[in-house]
This record gives sequence, C-alpha cells and structure tokens, in this order.
Amino acid sequence: MRDHNGEDRGITAVGMRRDFGGLHAVDGVDLEIPGGRIFGFLGPNGAGKSTLVKILTTILNPTAGRATVAGYDVQKQGGKVREAIGVALQDVGLDPLMTARELLMLQAELFGAHRDVARKTAERLLVTVGLDDVDPKKRSGAYSGGMKRRLDLALALVNDPRILFLDEPTTGLDPASRAAIWEEVRRLNDDLGMTIFLTTQYLEEADRLADEIAIINKGKIVAQGTPSDLKREVGDEVVELQFASCEEAAGADDALAAVAPNRQAASRKLRLYFAHAAESVPELVRVLDGVGIRLQGLTIEQPSLDDVFLRVTGEALEHEVDEAGDEGSAAPASPASADIDAATPGDDGRSEVTS
Amino acid sequence: MNDSLLLIGRSLRNAIRQPATIIPNIAISVFFLFVYNSGLSSVAQLPGFQGTYLGFILPVAIVSAAVGGAGLAGQTLIKDIDNGYFTKLLLTPTRRLAVIWGPMVASAIILTAQVVLVMLLALAMGLKVAAGPAGFALVVVLAFLWGMAFAGYAAFMALKTKNAAAAQAATFAFFPLIFLSYTFVPKEYVTAGWLKVAATINPTTYVFDAMRSLLNTGWNTSSLLIGFAVTLGFATLTGGMALWAARGATKMTS
Repeated sequence: MRDHNGEDRGITAVGMRRDFGGLHAVDGVDLEIPGGRIFGFLGPNGAGKSTLVKILTTILNPTAGRATVAGYDVQKQGGKVREAIGVALQDVGLDPLMTARELLMLQAELFGAHRDVARKTAERLLVTVGLDDVDPKKRSGAYSGGMKRRLDLALALVNDPRILFLDEPTTGLDPASRAAIWEEVRRLNDDLGMTIFLTTQYLEEADRLADEIAIINKGKIVAQGTPSDLKREVGDEVVELQFASCEEAAGADDALAAVAPNRQAASRKLRLYFAHAAESVPELVRVLDGVGIRLQGLTIEQPSLDDVFLRVTGEALEHEVDEAGDEGSAAPASPASADIDAATPGDDGRSEVTS
Repeated sequence: MNDSLLLIGRSLRNAIRQPATIIPNIAISVFFLFVYNSGLSSVAQLPGFQGTYLGFILPVAIVSAAVGGAGLAGQTLIKDIDNGYFTKLLLTPTRRLAVIWGPMVASAIILTAQVVLVMLLALAMGLKVAAGPAGFALVVVLAFLWGMAFAGYAAFMALKTKNAAAAQAATFAFFPLIFLSYTFVPKEYVTAGWLKVAATINPTTYVFDAMRSLLNTGWNTSSLLIGFAVTLGFATLTGGMALWAARGATKMTS
C-alpha cells in the first residue's frame, strides 16, 4: 500500500482481538485501509473503538491477531509505528504546568527535531490550530476544553505523520470548534494526503468526513463501505411514521409488514425503506386507516447512517450532533397536522409530509 | 537532545513552578536539625560519645530530605497518568523507560540540592566534617543513592496504584524506618531490646552509621562499605520493582 512517494500510509488488521477478563472488547476485527483515505470508525460508547485505536497506536497489546500501520507491525516494530503516526486520543494528554509552545517544542524534540526546528514547528502548528494569538505565558491547564482539544491535535501533528489517529476528536466540543476540527481534518487529507483514522459516535461526523466507514458494535465490525453504499443497502428513501403511542407503532409495524417488508421500529416511530417512497405513501395511509391507526406525522427523507446502524445492530445510536453542541436524542419531532400536501425531498434530502 | 535529558529538564522545570512541592520537605529537614540539635545536644556530653551532636543528628535531617524529596517522583508520575500526558509521551518514539526515568532522576537532583542545602546550613551552625570535603561529598552521594532507592519505591507505588492518595500513603511507610533506629542517641545508650532488634533489621541504621562516621569520626571503611552495600542493594531492589511496574504500565511492544 505504498503511495507515489514510496511511503506506506495504510493500515491492516487481521483477526485483531483484545479481551479484558471475559469481555471481548475487540473481537476479531479485520481491516484493510488504503493510504490517503479518511476512514471513519463508527460505534456507540463501549463498542471497542478506543481499544482498537490503542492497539493500532502501540499503547495496548492485542490478545490475538496481527496489525500493521504504515507498513510496520504494531507489536514488533512499535517504535517505527510511532514515528509514522500522530495520535489524538479521546482524553487529551496535556501537562497543565506547561505552555502550548513548551509542549509542542518538547513533543517535536522527542520526535528527533533540533531545537530551532522544534521552535518553528511549534509556531506553525499554533497558527494551524488557531492558538497563535493566545498569551504565550498561559499554561495549558488554564485553557478551555476546545483550546485543549486543538492543542492536543497540534501535538499529534508535530512529526508530519503519514497516518493520523483521531479518537472521537469532537466529543464535547461546541459547534464552532467542531467545525474548525472538521475543516482541519479535511485539509490535512486533501493537502497532505494524510491517512486519517477517525473514530466517532456521531453519524453526521462520519457522514461528512469519511471516504469509507466501518460500523463497530460489541467489538465486531458489523458493516463497512462508503457512506453512500451503506445507505444504499438500506434503501433509497425512507418514510418515517410517527404515532401517538408505542402500542400504535407496534400495531402499525404488524399491519404494514406486507406492504413494507423493509422497516425498523423505534419507540413511537416506524421507519420504512422504499425505492420510491412517495409512491408508497397512499398505500401506507390506506392500510393504517383500515386497521384504525391514526398517524401523527409522516416524513420522507434520504436514509442516514443512523438507518444503517439501526439495521446492522438493531439499536439506534444514542448520540448525535445537534446545533447546541450537546448530546441529544436522535430525531427531531415532526409536526402532526391533518392532510398530505407534499412529498418531494428538499435540498437537504428531507421533506415533510404532514398528515 | 537526548530524550532522558529533555524529560528530566521538563520535570525539573515543573518542580520549580510548584515550589509548594519542595518547600515543606526542606522545612521538615531544617526543623529536625534545629529542634533536635538544640534540644538533645547534651547527649554529646555522655561518656564515650564521639564528635558533635550536630554531626550525629544531621544524617536524620539528610535522610528525611532524601525520602521526602523522592516522593516527588511518584507524585509526578501520578499527575502525568491522571492528566493523560503519560500516554502522550508513550506515543512518541522516545524510549519508554525515559518516561519514568525522567521524573525519577529529576526528583533525585532536587533532593540532592535539598541535602546540600541542609548540609550547608549545618556547616553554618558550626559543623566540622571529620572526613573533610571528600567526606562531605560522599555523604551527598550516599543521600542521592538512598533518595533514588526511595524514588524507585515511589515510582513503583505510583505505577501500580495509579492513585495519588495511595502513592502518597505508601511513602509514609518509610517514616518509621527513620525512627525505628538509633535516631537520637548512639546504640550504646539504647536499652529497649525491641528497638535494638528493629534497628538491626532496619537498613536506615547502616546509612546513618556510614554518614555519622564520615561526619563525626573520619574514614571508617567497614561502616562505609556496609552503608553503601545496603543502599545499593535497596536501590537495586526498588529500581527492579519500578522497572517491573513500568513494563506493565507502558505495555511495551518494542
């Protein structure tokens, strides 16, 4: 997996497993990630994302299996792997008594840079992550959460890594900081050809950034492909029905089995997958009328990775990015009015059909 | 620059930025020196006592400074582990032992500076070192090695417990070692049989003996050999424990 410079920027794993007592945190993961891609590793808390990152970045030994990063064996050539990669883990790793420049310079020197080069690297990266205008005497312990995260990202870049590992890089960040990190990740990949291994529990993040996605659940990869391929596997369009109660949703689930074989139930909602959703809507309404179940809302949209996740795991991801930057529930509420008056997807791939 | 030197420099700089981690330790040593020297100096009037009481009690202040200073190694490691910086350092190509070695050597340098400070204070109080300047230097070397032995223990406890309170509590286990010895009076004047047994088992006794011989009576080969042998043996034991804990904590793959 060498690029035109003769550098290997890929990641492979075969039968990777890590046990903690009786728990299989990573359970037989195989990966083949070509260089120069943004690879999204998507899964809920406790799925095994961080454990896999720790194995691939040489700070945790696997129980079984073999992996190479940048062409080097993670167990036998750990030093070589670390020279080739940059890592920003989920929990930032900063010495609170040191300033940003001191941290960056020390990190660069530990990667073998001379002092003058380390100083220039520190200045360049402070500009890159937008911390160059911070008081140079300010210690990292006094930084805000977003500033710490950006400094941690800068530390991961001191050695111009071929492969960058980002473990949930935007968790807990405000929307502006999150957007800045997305932009930087995209730039690193576009301009420098850096391979980026990104774990996230945010579907939107994986969808926006990743060229390819693997979905991990309970230590196993349950789906893998490009975001569009994964979504296409679910169906071309989704009709989401909302009901007043879970019982009504369950009743509708049974009643619609014949007309919509491909569907997912979640609480008071039912999501149905069709090649042409709009054409199916009259039939859905007719069937529900026939069994006396009243719709509260109906929405037609493009399938999301949430649908993929729901389909392959049987569970919804609990966390999703919202505008407030908080971790909230998955779907916004739809209005519940009376008549069907529109069924055409808008610019965002989402249209609302009220009933 | 060498990885170890970079990490030692960083730990030293951090210690200076937090004088509160150093000053109490110096204060305790100075307290020992002033209080016991002024309160018990008449012990030197007892028949058969060789040298001054200042030369006798100074090793207690020195060993106290060394033990307290060594705890800094454990504290630094715990802080690094807690704030994630330990892992960040493990993700660099630096030799992984340097990540642990850095705080240990830095704390040894700081405790040596503390020891020298306490000894200079004793000189100002009128101490005459029987073995001369070379003896003075040898006392510092012995204190450094004894401190390294404690730094190894502190690092071991920090890496095994990864808990600041547990590591701090563990270093207190060494204070009885200072006092279950011929701490305040020579062994000829100790009558309690249990204390004699405890002092004989206690390695600190032999460090006190070696330092006291240099400070009060001159060059005593057997005291020095035993003192250095005990210190090196102890340092080897705790160093091995720290190394073992470090291998576990860093999950070495290279």
